[in-house]
Amino acid sequence: MSQPACIEGSCMKEACVEGDSENRQEKPGFKGPGEVSFRSFRKHESSLTLFNWIGLLLFAFFLFMTLFPFLLAPYAPNERFIPYEAPSGRHLLGTNDIGNDILSELVFGARISITIGFVAALISTLIGTVLGLCAGYFRGSIEELLMGFTDVVLLIPKIPLIIVLGAFLRPNIWILISVLGLLSWESTARVTRSKVLQLREAGYVKSAQCMGFPSYHIMISDIFPNIIHVLFPKFMLAIASAMISEASLSFLGLGDINMKSWGIMLSFAFFRGGFIRDMWWWYLPPGICITLCVLSIALVGLGLEAKEKECSEEGANTL
Amino acid sequence: MLEIAKKVTRYFASFMLITAINFTLPRLMPGDPVKNLIGEDAYVSEKVTEELRAELGLNMSLSEQFTSYLSSLLHLDLGYSYHLHAPVAEVLLNKMGWTLLFVGISVVIGSFLGVFLGALAGWKPERKASRFTSFAFVVISCIPPYFLALLTLYIFAFKLGLFPSKGFYDTPEIGSVLYHLFLPTCVMSVFSASRNFLVMRGSVIQEKEQLYALYARAKGLHDTGILFRHIVKNASLPIITLLALDFGFLLSGALFIEIVFSLNGMGLLIYDAIMGKDYPLLQGAFLVIAFTALLTNMLADLLYALIDPRARRPA
Repeated sequence: MSQPACIEGSCMKEACVEGDSENRQEKPGFKGPGEVSFRSFRKHESSLTLFNWIGLLLFAFFLFMTLFPFLLAPYAPNERFIPYEAPSGRHLLGTNDIGNDILSELVFGARISITIGFVAALISTLIGTVLGLCAGYFRGSIEELLMGFTDVVLLIPKIPLIIVLGAFLRPNIWILISVLGLLSWESTARVTRSKVLQLREAGYVKSAQCMGFPSYHIMISDIFPNIIHVLFPKFMLAIASAMISEASLSFLGLGDINMKSWGIMLSFAFFRGGFIRDMWWWYLPPGICITLCVLSIALVGLGLEAKEKECSEEGANTL
Repeated sequence: MLEIAKKVTRYFASFMLITAINFTLPRLMPGDPVKNLIGEDAYVSEKVTEELRAELGLNMSLSEQFTSYLSSLLHLDLGYSYHLHAPVAEVLLNKMGWTLLFVGISVVIGSFLGVFLGALAGWKPERKASRFTSFAFVVISCIPPYFLALLTLYIFAFKLGLFPSKGFYDTPEIGSVLYHLFLPTCVMSVFSASRNFLVMRGSVIQEKEQLYALYARAKGLHDTGILFRHIVKNASLPIITLLALDFGFLLSGALFIEIVFSLNGMGLLIYDAIMGKDYPLLQGAFLVIAFTALLTNMLADLLYALIDPRARRPA
């Protein structure tokens, strides 16, 4: 899932959420808590479509691949055989230019690709959440400053910047992760802020303030648990976008060559003759794996986001 | 008025941030700043290195360096590429035209395609065709653009032999250029449409619940009339913002597609610069792309005010 699309989605959501919160205060109607939870529960069931389940299943499969690669891979990723071999019984996907078994490489590559996406998304979600929480809770000049900063960062094109940074720094998996993580928190920050703006008027936050709890305590123990369900889909989409960025950067030779992720495999296949020699078993599998993995994560993320949207429309008085 | 001031400050801050990044990078990065400024693989002797240090002003204080950097930037001097033996601005200007042409055509086609299909899919989301297009576009947006380019290059150029596999033209005529650009433009348009589609679909779904749509229906207007004469106008407003915010992303996607199709634009230039560690060129390219993105966003803001009267009127 691409970053600015999510950003735009979040802007729109922001607008409608803010509108919602105004409407809500006028509504005097109140339902019993049991009824609400039952209705929203049923809604959840129906909103997870077949596609989301497929996504979940695929994601579970890739997660398994990440955690236990040695169970699925026939050989070690750096074991060497005869190079440029076509798929056969011994090597299901053939071998590459230096004679590594491509299937094993693929299975072990999952760990690297997914780790990069996961950690980068974790960093960006963390930064976005902290900034959004502070901006939404404190309001005033802090909000102006933080959101202004977010807008400023939003205007800088990310991938060109990452390319320049990656060229200056030696390609290294940790640099890649931190650069990807540090540059993609804006949409999370905006969504968090709009949600916090809505929550800070809630009764339990007001009572916590009256009882004299410090702000950081209210933010952590009262507001944060109530925005997790918004953050989680954002987090999933951030993983997906970080994985695509990683694949793109690896294609340019800016990845860590010692850590063979799917992007690096694809780049090697393209620049080291797999494409010219018509070796589809070399360049197709990593590309398909990236696509499927990103797709599964995005489907789960989108499904959760849709669910969250329905919830917020449905359960106006769960606040 | 306050809004405008806010916007201007933000653009200015972005501008300063970009220049500051570009200024500090070669000076902060590990290694000799001279090497970082002229590029790693450019071979120079000890004596020349010292001369360059003086010439590049690296022995001055940082603040002096920054002012001289800004002034050279305002003179459109982006440095000198020691690999290509040409000023960076000149090299970039040469290639930029092709890339912008390629991106421009694709973005226009992509946004029309995305808006049209997105509107249809959002109008009746429960229909089979709408579901299919939605799923297809989600899948496309999950494929790294260069992989999509690779696949089409393989199928249409290598296997079927319908299209040429590299370059902008054989002979510099419009027919030849169009023939060469067809495949990359298709890939790029689909890529850009996939991003517009999802936003447009969501926007139409929201917009069709509005009262004016209901009124149009009560008036007896048929479906296509309501959708394309009333709803699309309002629903496509977010697309303008999206296109602007997306510009940097689309441009970088175009770079990858150019590399795959061996189009001699910015993409290959940047790829060669990375391979040869030609830092001045990379920095110049980043600066130009960032400023173009900034400019696009400004244009979008103006366009927004022009198209949507609500944005002009104070709330």
